[in-house]
Amino acid sequence: MKEKNLTKKAKTIVVTVLTVYLLTVATNLGEFWPFSIFPMFSQGGKTWSRSVVREIPPSDSVSWDVSQLESLPGLPFSVKSNGVDPIDLANFVSKTTTWDSVRVAALERMLFGGATPDRKLMIFKVQGRLTERDGVDVAATPYVLISPGIDLVNPSL
Amino acid sequence: MKLNLSDNLFGFEQPDTTGQRVFRKMFELFIVVASCNLAWKWGIYTLRISDVVLPLGVARYVDIAFMHGNSLPIWNAGLITILLVIGFAGLSGFGRWSYSVTFGLLIFQYAARFSLGEIPHSANLVGLGLLGYALGRITFPDSLSGNRFAVGFSYLFVGLSYTFAAWSKLIASGIFWPDGRHLWMWINEKAVDEIARSGFVELNFVQEWALSSIGLATVFLLFGLITEFFAFLVWFKRFRYPVILAIIGLHMGIWMTMDILFTLSVWELAILGLPWAYLIDRFLNRNQESNPPGPPILN
Repeated sequence: MKEKNLTKKAKTIVVTVLTVYLLTVATNLGEFWPFSIFPMFSQGGKTWSRSVVREIPPSDSVSWDVSQLESLPGLPFSVKSNGVDPIDLANFVSKTTTWDSVRVAALERMLFGGATPDRKLMIFKVQGRLTERDGVDVAATPYVLISPGIDLVNPSL
Repeated sequence: MKLNLSDNLFGFEQPDTTGQRVFRKMFELFIVVASCNLAWKWGIYTLRISDVVLPLGVARYVDIAFMHGNSLPIWNAGLITILLVIGFAGLSGFGRWSYSVTFGLLIFQYAARFSLGEIPHSANLVGLGLLGYALGRITFPDSLSGNRFAVGFSYLFVGLSYTFAAWSKLIASGIFWPDGRHLWMWINEKAVDEIARSGFVELNFVQEWALSSIGLATVFLLFGLITEFFAFLVWFKRFRYPVILAIIGLHMGIWMTMDILFTLSVWELAILGLPWAYLIDRFLNRNQESNPPGPPILN
């Protein structure tokens, strides 16, 4: 008898949790941690957007031209060495629609943790898309330059 | 084969064994350690955040900015740690509520950490596991039934989560989701992430294979989709272990092709997916057989 009551109680709790689960994901774009519709990698073949950072030597001029991944200007820069998750950076760049001073300052804080920038860093938005010839095209657009003196935003944004 | 879901998940009517008790405690310890790890990891990272780009979950209702630009995430992680220890110690009174309060605090910790646009899924199973223990403690009359409920709850949501993932793929991309070219796109995407992370990238042999053959890339994706689709079979004891091992295989495949490893999920699956209780009981029985009790001591 006791076991039947326990089973009944378990069923009631599970039904309640499932109801809350479905309601929260339905009203919160599919995500209400730890509830989720688990949409990772569901968008097969869709264009993606990520970010990379390059260190620009002080003597180099700044270019806002789009480049291929193999021919990016400047030197490799590891965001991990500054304690930054590259996916955070990618989302920060791709989901920002207006690059005002607050947003640029938040990006600077992310990369330098509140310290004054000690080098010139160019933040690129990198986009990948499938080509008609069954290949993948990857192109990088410079978005923001963070430097010791002044931060610049790509004038075409 | 028993098709009664309650029996398969919770087994309240089945006799308890030492192996099952050790297994349940082992799983609870994992949930406690993993939750503590997440609280600190998220808390420390949140110190770098000063702006909300994409409010997630509870942050859509509460301005989560109150956790940015101060040491609140660290205090929260400390409080979560204390509550987890109280919960694991199995204290009565407020102790029964400690996992529930922890769960609530962890929701805020998550929302504060993931407000920059990233929507990770590496910690969902741990969160659901913690919810199972929280509900088990406050709604069941004793620790045995509460802990049995918590483990069954985790099996239920492991199956549901991966099956949901398969449905998401089929709904968003249709039956052609396993097209190998999609894997090419993701391999390139993750290569860019690696360039951002470390400054350079070198593809491994599995990635090279996948990029060299659309057929092979399609097989990789097909295996993943089928595994996820049938993940709900973990609800039934008969299929539980092979299905969980297949899901671990899926994670290994994702790791090799896309350099993404859901470490906590894999550990959780390894605990849930191997017959620990059976192995412990067998080990104990063998020891008893080889060391029979001595003659009774006469007073």
